[in-house]
Amino acid sequence: MTHIDPQVHRVLDGELPAAALTAAQREQLEALQRAARTLAAVPPSSVAHRVMAEVRRTPVAPASLGTRLLQWLGERHAVTITFRPAWGLALAAALAAIAIIPSRGPGPALGEQEGIVQFVGRFPGARSVDVVGSFTDWQPGAVILRDEDHDGVWRGTIVLPVGQHEYMFVVDGERWVTDPLAGRYVDDGFGRMNALLFVRPLTP
Amino acid sequence: MTAVRLIALLAGLAAPLAAQSEGARGGDRLAGHVPPATLPALDSIVEDAARAGLPTEPLIQKALEGGAKGVAPDRLVAAVGASAAQLRSASALLRSAGETRPNDPAEVAAVAVALSRGVSPQQVARLGAALPGEPTGPALHAVADLVGHGFAEDSSVDLVIAGAQLGLRGLRFLDVAAAAVQELQRGSSHAAALAHVRAVLPHVPAPPRPAPAAVSRARRVQPSQRP
Repeated sequence: MTHIDPQVHRVLDGELPAAALTAAQREQLEALQRAARTLAAVPPSSVAHRVMAEVRRTPVAPASLGTRLLQWLGERHAVTITFRPAWGLALAAALAAIAIIPSRGPGPALGEQEGIVQFVGRFPGARSVDVVGSFTDWQPGAVILRDEDHDGVWRGTIVLPVGQHEYMFVVDGERWVTDPLAGRYVDDGFGRMNALLFVRPLTP
Repeated sequence: MTAVRLIALLAGLAAPLAAQSEGARGGDRLAGHVPPATLPALDSIVEDAARAGLPTEPLIQKALEGGAKGVAPDRLVAAVGASAAQLRSASALLRSAGETRPNDPAEVAAVAVALSRGVSPQQVARLGAALPGEPTGPALHAVADLVGHGFAEDSSVDLVIAGAQLGLRGLRFLDVAAAAVQELQRGSSHAAALAHVRAVLPHVPAPPRPAPAAVSRARRVQPSQRP
């Protein structure tokens, strides 16, 4: 980049008369003035000129507040954040605790005539296990067991009305299986055995 | 026409209408869940049961169960008919045992299931007499549990009645049976297991309560999830 003599700069800014310059400075001044004239003489038919002229001719409606807000949100803005490292470490520890400790809410509020039932079945290789029974009108899809650790043991815990219920497992949506751990069974009248379940109230 | 006759006439008209309405409601719930060809026969069974004052929900449940399990139409209708017959037997048994609520739907259904588990009508009558005006379902199932593990039916009923006399009620009867079965599993003979449990009555252990973590995980079967 060409260095401009400060004195020349002041002449260009109109702070000093040209007569105050030395011969060398005047020479630099004239060179700069020639360059400025050259730049001013860019033909008006240049592409940049025509584009800018078109832009200036196009009427611009004032942008609405929402549009301006969207524009502002879409633009880049420099944001400076100052923080203390100690606070940063504390925030990191809090986030790690939230991620590591599983959330355990108080669970559903149970009525006096409701209890909790845990279903467990071992079905290695199964793609899905449903519990289907009198509490689902014998339709699948309402009580789906999960095998979260992929050990073949499917589990589910649900709230049911106190009293007597019959059920079976449905494996992979088509295989009806009697719960081998139920310990209490009743003939279903169709050649299979339903497990019989008695639900007790959770509140004594 | 006297007022009494008019009321009797209206009641006579109301019962079949109520039965028809019950059958229609059952048909509504079954439509789309059972083979269409079975609907008239199933409606008829449900209407007959309603007309006889029997609970209809177990019949609708049996039909839904058969439909979900893909049972052949004739077998499905036969099973629902057999359930209706069992409910009729249970109601008659309760009536003959002097039960004050022979048509209580829960009681009739519980006795019907206990009969299907092999509890004899004589023992149902004995338990009904020992628990007048109270639900006998859990006591019957306790007997069925004991019989299922090889205990004599008479002795099983004796044990449950002994528990009732010492104040046990409801699902606590199932704990009596569980305690006897546990003694059996520890190596006792049937007679020794019964004697042990009889000696500790009414202090038989209750099943452990669910852990708080399990309660917090429990989810309700939402009506929207029900098909």
